Amino acid sequence: MAVAQRSGRSRYRLLLLILTAATLLTLDFRGFGPLDTAQSRVRDVLEPVVSAVDVVLGPVAEVWTVMFTYNDLRSENERLRDEVDRLASADIRGAAEQDALERLLDATGVTFVEGVERLTATVLRDSVGNFDDDVMSIDVGHRDGVAPGMAVVTSAGFVGRVETVDAALSTVTAVSDPSLVVGVRLLDTGDVGLGHGMAGDPTQFVVDAGLRWPETGDLSELPAVGSPVVTAAGSRYPADIPVGRVASVEPSEAGLAQLVTVDLAADVQDLGYVTVLLLTPSDEAPVGPDSPFPEPSP
Amino acid sequence: MTASQPVQNVLRRRRLLAGGSVAMIVLRLIIVYLFALLLQLTFFSQVRVAGVAPELPALVAILAGLFAGPRQGSVIAFCAGLMWDVYLSTPLGLAAASFVVVAYTLGGITEDLFHDTRLQTLLLVFVGTAAMVTVYALLGEVVGQRGLIDDRLPRVVLIASGWNALLSLVAAPAVRWAVGSGPARSRTRRREPPASPLKVR
Repeated sequence: MAVAQRSGRSRYRLLLLILTAATLLTLDFRGFGPLDTAQSRVRDVLEPVVSAVDVVLGPVAEVWTVMFTYNDLRSENERLRDEVDRLASADIRGAAEQDALERLLDATGVTFVEGVERLTATVLRDSVGNFDDDVMSIDVGHRDGVAPGMAVVTSAGFVGRVETVDAALSTVTAVSDPSLVVGVRLLDTGDVGLGHGMAGDPTQFVVDAGLRWPETGDLSELPAVGSPVVTAAGSRYPADIPVGRVASVEPSEAGLAQLVTVDLAADVQDLGYVTVLLLTPSDEAPVGPDSPFPEPSP
Repeated sequence: MTASQPVQNVLRRRRLLAGGSVAMIVLRLIIVYLFALLLQLTFFSQVRVAGVAPELPALVAILAGLFAGPRQGSVIAFCAGLMWDVYLSTPLGLAAASFVVVAYTLGGITEDLFHDTRLQTLLLVFVGTAAMVTVYALLGEVVGQRGLIDDRLPRVVLIASGWNALLSLVAAPAVRWAVGSGPARSRTRRREPPASPLKVR
């Protein structure tokens, strides 16, 4: 009898805990402000301790990293030497192209994220969990003017968006995260669509919504492989930030839409520094009746 | 002075003692859990095998389920999961829910069946971690998180479980100490004592 009562009570407790978790999940999905604030405060309180432990244990972890990545580092070093040689010859060509770009900008009045205040940040930590490969921590927070949703870039292009902001620390969701939807424009065709990262491959991005497959079957209407892809005006982020280059174009399963695979311009795996564009983002999702982005194709 | 007063005094003293020990258990659990969390956030964000780190918060939750039983273990697991959720990019409550379910189940099915041995704890931690990571990924997909279930999942499950099983050799005595469960005790001794025949009027 007593055992049955105990079992009943513990089941009741289990149910209560699961309901609490479900309530928290619901509140979090609805963007319940106090919940975010509470989480932010907890992280702020613990951050000095985490930083101190990081300083103490960092060298030990470095030893582990060096032990197990020595061969990778050596081959990376050789590859970078080749790259430096190649870039030396490309330098002159680059200067000419830069000159052409500047003249083009003068002519069209297009600005490449100009007039937006920027903030350089150091990447403190990569992911802490096993399912957070696309999340990194940076050493700037709301004390520095950072807000959730701001775009994060490097000189190579779009890196991701600021997700959570604490006092002196923020987390950034990288563009390689399949959950991060970005409105993009394909410069070759001028089409705009919605894309996201590809699970398991942090170097690629797929645009799978908003781009119709040519009804006439004329493949010349498709974007050329290697053509640039940038953030679209009307997306949550400033327009014309380089995202990458088209790697392949295929029809979707139903054959009505394009699936454009893009090689990401920025390497989001091993970042030391990033730049946060201090432009307050739009809260609205980049899909809807007033949006420049059509609804996803069936 | 009535006849029942000494009995009431004894009971009051017992309650106070019990309250004190609960506070100590909570304090010890906080110390052990914070240590695990700090290691996870710092050291194990770099030290990984094939890109996979151990799941120390899950390890504490599993060991709490094993050593404290399903009732207390599930509450400890919930708190451990909730604190871990604060640092994860997934929604708050996801890790808490998966930790509770697995800690409760493990605590329940092992409560009266076995005697504690190191090998048994190691195996249970391996199975528990595999279950927790899988439940976390499944729940995450159910609530709309992308990229949790893919080709990488079996690797993460196996390596994280291996890590946790190995680390349980160190963590098990710490969690035992925290929940106040002696190392030589059998699980059958962990049962709650029968209700006291003393009644307060």
